[in-house]
Formats: sequence, structure tokens, C-alpha cells
Amino acid sequence: MRRTDTVILALMLLLLVCNLSFAQLPRPEELKFPPLKFEPPNPANFRVVLANGLRAYLREERALPIVNITAIIHTGGLYVPKEKAGLDLLLSDCLIKGGTKTRTGQVIEERIDFLGGTLNFSVGERTATLSMSVLSKDLDEGLELFFDVLMNPEFREDSLKLAKGRLIEQMRTANDNPSQVLAREFQKVIYGEHPLTFQATKATVENLTQADLKAFHSRYFFPKNIILAAAGDFSRSQLQNKINKYASKWANKSLSFPNISRDFPQPEPGVYFIQKKINQGYVSVGHIGIEDTNPDYFAVQVMNFILGGGSFTSRITSKVRSDEGLAYNTGSRFTYRWGFPGTFAGYVQTKSETVGYAISLILKEFERIRQEPVSDAEMETAINYYLESFADFFQSPIGTMVNFASLELQGKPMNYYATYRDKIKAVTKEKVMEVAKKYIQPDKMVIMIVGDFEPCNKGSDKFPGPLDRLGKIHRWKVMDPLTGQMVE
Amino acid sequence: MLLRKVVAFGLGCILLLALGNLVAAQIKLEVKEHVLANGMKILMIPKPGVPRVVCHIYYKVGSINERPGITGIAHLLEHMMFKGTRMMGVTDFEADEALDRQIDELMEKIYREKFWKKDGDQKKVAEWQKQVDELMKAEKKYIVKDHLWETYMKNGGTGLNASTSDEVTGYYVTLPANKVELQMVLEADRMMNAYFREFYSEKDVVMEERRLSENSPGFLFNEQVRAAFYVGSPYHWQVIGWMDDLRRITKKDLIEFYRKYYVPNNAVAIYVGDFKPEEIIKLAEKYFGQIPKGEDIEPIRTSVPPQYSHKRMYGEGPGVPNLQMWFHIPPEGHPDVPALNILSGILSGETGRLTRVLVQEKDVAIRAMAMARPQWYVGAFTFNVVPKLQKGIKPEDLEKDVWEEIEKIKKDGVTPEELQKAKNRAEASFIRGLESSMFLAMRVGRAELHRGWRSLLTDLEDLKKVTSDDVKRVAARYFVKDNCLVAVYSRGQVR
Repeated sequence: MRRTDTVILALMLLLLVCNLSFAQLPRPEELKFPPLKFEPPNPANFRVVLANGLRAYLREERALPIVNITAIIHTGGLYVPKEKAGLDLLLSDCLIKGGTKTRTGQVIEERIDFLGGTLNFSVGERTATLSMSVLSKDLDEGLELFFDVLMNPEFREDSLKLAKGRLIEQMRTANDNPSQVLAREFQKVIYGEHPLTFQATKATVENLTQADLKAFHSRYFFPKNIILAAAGDFSRSQLQNKINKYASKWANKSLSFPNISRDFPQPEPGVYFIQKKINQGYVSVGHIGIEDTNPDYFAVQVMNFILGGGSFTSRITSKVRSDEGLAYNTGSRFTYRWGFPGTFAGYVQTKSETVGYAISLILKEFERIRQEPVSDAEMETAINYYLESFADFFQSPIGTMVNFASLELQGKPMNYYATYRDKIKAVTKEKVMEVAKKYIQPDKMVIMIVGDFEPCNKGSDKFPGPLDRLGKIHRWKVMDPLTGQMVE
Repeated sequence: MLLRKVVAFGLGCILLLALGNLVAAQIKLEVKEHVLANGMKILMIPKPGVPRVVCHIYYKVGSINERPGITGIAHLLEHMMFKGTRMMGVTDFEADEALDRQIDELMEKIYREKFWKKDGDQKKVAEWQKQVDELMKAEKKYIVKDHLWETYMKNGGTGLNASTSDEVTGYYVTLPANKVELQMVLEADRMMNAYFREFYSEKDVVMEERRLSENSPGFLFNEQVRAAFYVGSPYHWQVIGWMDDLRRITKKDLIEFYRKYYVPNNAVAIYVGDFKPEEIIKLAEKYFGQIPKGEDIEPIRTSVPPQYSHKRMYGEGPGVPNLQMWFHIPPEGHPDVPALNILSGILSGETGRLTRVLVQEKDVAIRAMAMARPQWYVGAFTFNVVPKLQKGIKPEDLEKDVWEEIEKIKKDGVTPEELQKAKNRAEASFIRGLESSMFLAMRVGRAELHRGWRSLLTDLEDLKKVTSDDVKRVAARYFVKDNCLVAVYSRGQVR
């Protein structure tokens, strides 16, 4: 009995081993995928012009009983003069909370909350957005509140006072978080004294008045300066009628935007060091970048994907993080802003003694992509990533409508998505090297470090200090927004 | 190993296909379920439209499955799961393995010398380290860097990531609808065959990740608060773990942890997007179905013992000063939890009681929040209030204001409007949560691991039944001093 069992078991095992060798996993490159065709939605199919020239992108999406609606307004911090710095922040906080001619902010927020909706407003650099989400059964009431806030804000004194208090408390911690300090100060070096970098202080915020906010609102908030985006459980024609009820009573204004300088200083290259007693250095290495309307934009995207934008598949991440274990976060990025060049920077946060070494590795990668052609495999990965993930842009119906509205507001070509894949496909290895040479400029590098100077300067075996091996050291001071004083 | 496979194959024909469909008021959540013979669950939520599929896999393992000495290992393992397998990340597995073994042997000697002895032989350590460096250099030629990540990316993978929490570890990718098979192959491969090369440099990466947290204002104090609150229970430490343990964790520890928890009977795969369920099931059977079932896993043993004391902590540092008050509450699924959730809804938010009274009426605080966090095994109800320093208010001054609000609830309960508002908000935010495929996958996948995905709907139903008396009762039961930890954080010497 016992022997038979053993034999059977042995046979079973044998069978199993054979089985397993058949059941082995294929290598990913052996998989054959069925073809997939995807055409992006056409913005023209969603666009309508409502009363008083209010433009809108509307998309019915009836799977869930929800309506999302967003207004994008052409206004922002860029248009706030220096002596009123912080007006945009106060506007963000008070458009809803400050109430309207007929409702207090508390009444509005209370009602939205009771309906289980959300209503949020935020002001960015050149666009502001008011976004609402409500159950479709509450759409009428939601729209009433949405347009009341958009058209008739009152910025009541009590809400202003509370908002100023919040802003001032935030200022207390403005220089605590090393990554926030780095982001803000890097911009200051790159753009210099410019509306893009004006910083609110306690003094500028305290001087702001209800009249300032009303004047700013009245200047920028009118139908022709706004584009709506909506998606959800509604009938397009009915929604248009509902919106027209408000838009038809909303007068347009004439508006000329202030002329803003596009001249930026050429910062002296070198190390800009901000002292902070922490156990890592937070680093940005770069200079001014390009606009996303630049014809080289797609080639730059592909180039940066290979250099440091494609997370683990990129050279900087692979070298600095994966090979050397120097950092959790590292890579390179081009940032973009509407109407102005953005920035280009490599970044890393690493323990103090390896700061110099990590920077040297990043600079080496900058040089390599300028001097050597990228490999075919790198090109294939980068191009395929953009092509194969393209449909992701359209995953969210409201997100898609907002993207279309933003293109139009910023005067960008409405065929951006329709031509996207062809433009990516057209990028070649030669083009990648050309744009690397053109847009990465080693002689202009601003190396900004937030960290503890002594251990950073001392370095480690692989890169003994001092840091001035990387360039002239500038001890950079930051502003205490509470006092307006520069501090180290 | 082989015997375990026999068991799995013996049960090969038992399949379970069920369709769950629960409708609550206007809420409809349809999840198709399929259980493989090895115990692995496959959940599917078809969403026709854009040809993308969110593919997530969740393991029922997190930092609560650790013990002192290996804290942080669940998260370290999550990092190491990207380092390849016998097939991925390597050009010549045998050659690489030979080198990797030698590295491990030397590193074990180094660890013993450094960590087991008081005065280890530094010379020996340096010598071994030199040999390790040489071996690592030699190993590089066999390593295909971040192979799995690259394979996902060049196939259009987005939302590519992984995360570890106290209770769950998740692996995420969103793929074109025609490439779900790729995820099945790669995930089945790393569930069975993960191979932990580049272990020592990845430990450095994780230590850098911990330093990043340490430099985030308030982190170090909050870490202490949590440790003081969750005495006994493994919720005591954070997911990132203690630095001492990160330094000392060995590859053996990692392999042991991996073998125990990365088994199909401890995993859920979930798919949300544009696909046909029968095709997903076919692929799942083919790839995940061949993985042998693992041992059953015991739930964690130690809960938080009753506190029997009133705890207070004081700390100083950079960042926002604040008062925290923590109370122990029961875990998810306990009958008191719905009332506690409703109460946190009533206290919180821009129109909640705390903001109305402390921020708007008394003007003593900048922000005031409450949150019920029941979790899987032990819960916490926390208050967090930021004082208005401009008016000379200190964090500790606000304690009496919070107790005043608590006492009001105990005595008078809440109004019918407040109750209805909290219920409406919970329901609407549930519906809103169904919009994003990624968010939906996360919620449903995680819920499935503990009390089943249907608990999302039954929890919502239970919330709707809560009365003012229920709220009064739970407030009286849990908001007492002997169940409370008060933590006061002030601005001080900026580190």
C-alpha cells in the first residue's frame, strides 16, 4: 500500500514537472496583442457658444447621476501688481467664502455641503478655475450658486479678515519646508524680479481691501473672458438653456491685459546655497527653458523622457537612484507656463555628504545626452510610451472638456491632440541630440541647494568637496514674509 | 515546494464565478468576481469607452505584519519587487545568481561584524566591502536595469506605481485595453519568481526616502505621537519603519517575508475599464492560475490594550503648530463605527461644527478638523486644531474648546439637519468616487481583502441608519480622558 502510494506520488510529481515546463510564462516580447484603434474626440463636437459669447465644451455622460462643471477664467497672479502681492491668494480664498450680494459665504457653503456637492475656486498664474460637482437632481440649485459666486461676489469683510489670518499663519511656515523653499527660490534666480516671482508679505496682504478684490473681479470676470467645461448626467440642449439664463444677463467688458516683460536676467552660473540644518540637500540644477508652443516641444519631451523624465527608464533615475542608491527622488524636468518660457532642471534630494556627488552625476548625464546619440532602444521606449498611452488623456470626461477649454483659452491649436501622435512619431535620434544641445546649456547652470552647508561642502569619498568645484558659491538669502526682511 | 504544487493542481477544477450587484438607493456598483483554485480573487468592473484598463493587484500585507527588528520591510519589499525575477531584469540568470550569492555571503559577514559586535573589526569590514564593490561591478553586466518598469512603459503603461500602507501593498498600472495580458504575465512572474538583486543599494534608496520624511516639518513629532498611541499593536510604527531596522534588515528577512505573504490566496487582482470579463478570466486562469497556493495566514494578534491613563505629549519643531487629541475607537465593522463616522462628518469640513465655532465664531483657530479612522484592527478618532498665533493663542489653549464641543455632543447630540447633511455628503462622495477608474479599483480592491467589497455598500447603508442618540452614545463612550492622548506641537528650534 505504502509503496504504491509512493509510486503514484512520484508519477504525479513527474507529470507535474512536465506540466510546469509547459505552463512557464512567456517573455513579454513574445506576447502578441490584438490591434487597437483609437481616435481622439474632436473638440468641435463639444463646443457651443452661449449668450454673450460665453464659450463652453459640453459632454453628456450619463452613467452616473453626477454633473461636473468648471469655469476657466483668464486671470491670475501674473496680473497682480507688486504692491498688492497676495491679492490672488485672497481672491482664491474669498470668492466663495466672501458671499454674494444676496447670500453669505456660509449660506452658500452650507447649502453645497448639504447637497453633498463640492464647489472650489483657485487662482493660478494666468487662469482661475471655479469647479462644481453636484448630483444631477440638484443641478438647478447648483447652477444658481455657481453663477452667483462667479458673477456677484461680495468679498464681505468678516471673510476677508479670516482669510488674511490664514494667509499670515501660512507665512510663518513659508521657509520651513525645504522643497517649498527650493521651488520658490529657484524661480527667483531664474526669472529675477518679475511678476512671475512676486511674493506676498504680511504688509501687502494686510493692506488689501474689499475694494481691491471687487475691482480685480470686475475687471476679469465676464462671459468673453471665460470658457466653461461640463460633463455628466445632463441633456446638452437643456444645460445650454439653463446656462443662458445667467449668461444673457451678464455684460461683457473691454479688457486689455497689462504688458508684461519677457526679458529675464541672465543669472550668474554657480552654486546658490540656502542654509538649513537638515540631513539632506535638496537640489535643482538648471536654467530657463522653453514654451510649449515651441516647434521643438515634442522633441524636447522625448529627449527629456530619456534624460530624466521617464522615471525609472530614464538615465538620471537609473544612475542616481537605482545604481547608486543616492536618492528616492531624482530626474529632470521641463516645466511650462502659458506665454513665457518655463524652466529646465535636474533634481535630487540626497544625504548631505553625497550632494556634490549626485550633482556631478546629473551634470554628466546632461553632457552625455548633448554629446552622444541616444540608443535605438531608448528611442523606442520613449516614442512607444507616448503613442501607446495617448488614450489616457481622455480617461476623464470632465478632464477632457477642461483640456479642450484650456487649449482654446490659451490660443493653442485645437488640433493639438489630433496631430499629437504624428508629431511624436516624427522625432528622430538626430533631433533629440539637436534639441539637447540647444536647450541644455552647461555654461548657464544654476545649482541651487537647500541644506546644511558644512557636511554638504565636505562631501564624501566619491566626490570630496568643496562645492566650489561645481562653480562659484553664492550664499542665497530668503525672505521672511512676515517681516519682509531677508534672512539666512 | 513541489508538494504545494500538487495540492494546487489537485484542486484545479474548482471554479467560482459570481456576479455581485448591490443597489443602494441610486447607487449601483457592479463587480464581477472570479476565484481561482489557488484562492486568488479576480474582480472586474467593465467600463466601456476609452480603450484603457486599470490593472491593480493588492496583497494583504503591510507594516502591521512586521515585528520589531524588521519594521519597514513590507515597504522595502514593495521596492524590491521591481528588481526583477528569474526572467526579468537579467540577461543570464545563473551567472547573475552566482555573483549575487557571493555578495549576500559577504554582506552577511559585514552585517555580523557591524551590527552584532560592539567593536567589530573595521579592517575586515573594509576589505569585505571592497570585494562586494567588485562583485557588484561584475554583476552589472548581467542586470537589465528596471526591466519591468521599462516594459510597462513602452507598452503605454501609465499610473505605474506601487504603494504600501499599514494593511495593504498594491501594484498599479493602467494599460491599453489590448495589453492586459502583459500585466498578468509580469505580475504572475513576480508573485512566483521575484529575485532580489540590487538589494543593498535599494536599502539606501529607502533610507533616503525616510530622510525625506524626516525633513518634512512635523514628521518626527507625529511619528512619536503615533508610537505613543498605538502601544502594543503593530500600528505603533510607521510604514517607512525605524532607521535602525532599515539598516539591519537582511536579504534573508526579505525572502522569508516575501514567501509568506506573496501568495495567490493572499492577493486580489482588480480590473476596471474597457474589457470583456470572460477574456480576463481566461487569462487569469492561464497565468495566475498556475501559481501554487500558499499557507493560510493568521491575522495579527495584538490589539491595543485599554489605556487606563491620560497621555500627554509636548514637542517643538518646524512647521505648523497644532493640538492633536487622539481617542481609541473600535475597528471597521464594529456597530459603533457608523455613528463615529457620522460624527466626524458633522465636526469636520468647512461647514462643520469645529470650523464654525473655533474658526469663525471664536476666531481662535486657523483650522479645525476631526477624523474617524477605524482601520482593520484598531481605530483612532483624531482632532487636529491649528491655533491663531497672531492673537497670542497657543496650541494647548485650544484643548478646552475641543472638550467643550465634545461635551455639547454628549449632552445634546446633533441636529436633524447636521445628521442629514453628513449622510448626504457620504452618499454623494461615494457616487463621486465611482467616476475615476483608478480610485474605484483602489477602494474595491482594498475592501475585498478585509471584509469583502460589498462592505463598501453595507457600510453606507449603516451610516444612513445612524440617529442623534447613537452619536451621543458613542461620544460618551469613547471621548473620555482615560482613552485619550493629547499632543501639543509648538514652533521651536527649526531643525
